[in-house]
Amino acid sequence: MARAKFLCDAERCIECNACATACKNEHEVPWGIVRRRVVTINDGEPDEKSIATSCMHCTDAPCVSVCPVSTLYQTDIGVVLHDKDTCIGCGYCFYACPFGAPQFPKATMFGSRGKMDKCTYCAGGPEEDHSEAEYRKYGANRIAEGKLPICAEVCSTRALLAGDGEMIGEIYRERVIHRGYGSGAWGWNTAYYPEEDGA
Amino acid sequence: MSDSAGGVRGRDFTGYRIAGAIAALIFLFLLAWQVVLLFAADSTVRPEVAIRAAGDSPGMHSGMIAAETLAARTRLLDERFRTGPSPEAEVPALAEGRANLDSESMTDGSAYTRAWSVPTEDEAAMMHQPDRIEGISSLPYSNAALFERPFGRDWRIGMSDIITHMGALAILGMAFLLSAVLALRGRVPIRQGKSGRRVHRFGFVERGTHWMTALSFLGLSFTGIAIAYGETLFVPLGERAMGTLGWWSTWGHVLFAPTFFLGLIVMAVMWTAKNLPSKLDIQWIAKGGGFFSDSGDHPPARKFNAGQKMVFWSAILGGLIMVATGVTLMFPYYWLDLAGMSWAMLIHAAIAVLLIAVFLAHIYIGSVGMHGAIDAMWSGKVDRNWAEEHHSLWLREVDPKKERTP
Repeated sequence: MARAKFLCDAERCIECNACATACKNEHEVPWGIVRRRVVTINDGEPDEKSIATSCMHCTDAPCVSVCPVSTLYQTDIGVVLHDKDTCIGCGYCFYACPFGAPQFPKATMFGSRGKMDKCTYCAGGPEEDHSEAEYRKYGANRIAEGKLPICAEVCSTRALLAGDGEMIGEIYRERVIHRGYGSGAWGWNTAYYPEEDGA
Repeated sequence: MSDSAGGVRGRDFTGYRIAGAIAALIFLFLLAWQVVLLFAADSTVRPEVAIRAAGDSPGMHSGMIAAETLAARTRLLDERFRTGPSPEAEVPALAEGRANLDSESMTDGSAYTRAWSVPTEDEAAMMHQPDRIEGISSLPYSNAALFERPFGRDWRIGMSDIITHMGALAILGMAFLLSAVLALRGRVPIRQGKSGRRVHRFGFVERGTHWMTALSFLGLSFTGIAIAYGETLFVPLGERAMGTLGWWSTWGHVLFAPTFFLGLIVMAVMWTAKNLPSKLDIQWIAKGGGFFSDSGDHPPARKFNAGQKMVFWSAILGGLIMVATGVTLMFPYYWLDLAGMSWAMLIHAAIAVLLIAVFLAHIYIGSVGMHGAIDAMWSGKVDRNWAEEHHSLWLREVDPKKERTP
């Protein structure tokens, strides 16, 4: 069974932010929320790297575990989705997330955060597929059409890979062998193998 | 000194003792249930929804088609010299993006989670040590520069495994202890019975502040419990109902906070001087406040005894921590970053469950636990015999001329 993952090849990411822009546009993501973002580490140093990140759709996802109202749920391809109708904006997922993915529109006063928003792996939400309600709350549902997340499919250097975890892992490994170097799968240990100590 | 001597005895409150016994049984059952949950419950997250090819035969087969569709599409992300951007090349049928995948709920997903969490040798070789990584980002969002914070997984353990379970044990355990005490020991009696003559104990401002703070505390507790334990308590009523209840609770939680804070400040101003520790407190604690015997031989106390002082300081110190962390959480990023806010949330939750347990005891002793105690905060006037037994030194201060009633 396919286990959907994200993998960003830090040697290839050129910080063009096309993934972030395409995501914003595809889903009409509200102001103040960035579902997909590019982080540059060691900026200006010889080992500078840029990595695109978002919700990683973790194994044994901490956000799903801590949600007090069962808003978050996981699918059998690993994608973590949420139901904005039951979300109470408590922020638990926000504190539990290892990648800073859940965000809140902050549209209301006095700390009420509004409904949580995060990357859906372009898989919409619990509403009927391709319905207007689904688009308004979660954005486009590309998975239902057999497509992959727009951020990865739009990536001009193919740094950002999405889809079947084994296959993107294989694509990445072949790449590393071919060019002779690679800094590894950033975030995979935290996201997908919480019980491993890391290599 | 012996219990058999004349006067009212705690065990004479038969009705209260029966009610206490029933409550004790209920709380014992809930406590046992909670202990079972603590050891038996598996908090691993399992998939609940399956992605399937729509319109096809149900079950595994349609799941395979969905997987193959996504795999075919994934193949397009391979190197361009293989997949090619060429319009002439033929697109594999499944990868065209014209599939119709649907989702349906599934029951047992634990096998998926188990299979997912084991990396292959190749995958293990390309992984990083989990570490906090933060860089810079050009995107306009306060947390955009964060790449990874493995602490999130620890936060989850702290919140849903430790604090939630320990809090439930503390609250249910305290409720069980109190109802068991009521069943076995009965109420703390006024040994000499009510004299009918009353002494002024709390003024209007004192009582008003107490009840304003108390109601705010109850409101905060119930809304807080609805948020923290909603999944156990209310989701069986339906997820939508819980969503609505939770939404009101998050709003209500914030609405009760200002009156709670105001009450804390006024109480601190009114009562701090009388609640400073003194030598009498050691004696009082050594005798357990005279709580467990009907002898009427209560240790002497001024206006507040050591037990009341402990309640006072729990309210003031605990309450101030709650307000400080709570206000911090109301204004994300105002002065703390995500790491700081995570700790604030953990402290807020841990102190909250402890305060609820402590104030269960306070509510108990002020109402059914002790005969005559409620008058102090209700009418403001207590019976002379009650005052003589519990606050002998205070009674002499406020009422020096009158001798003790025989």
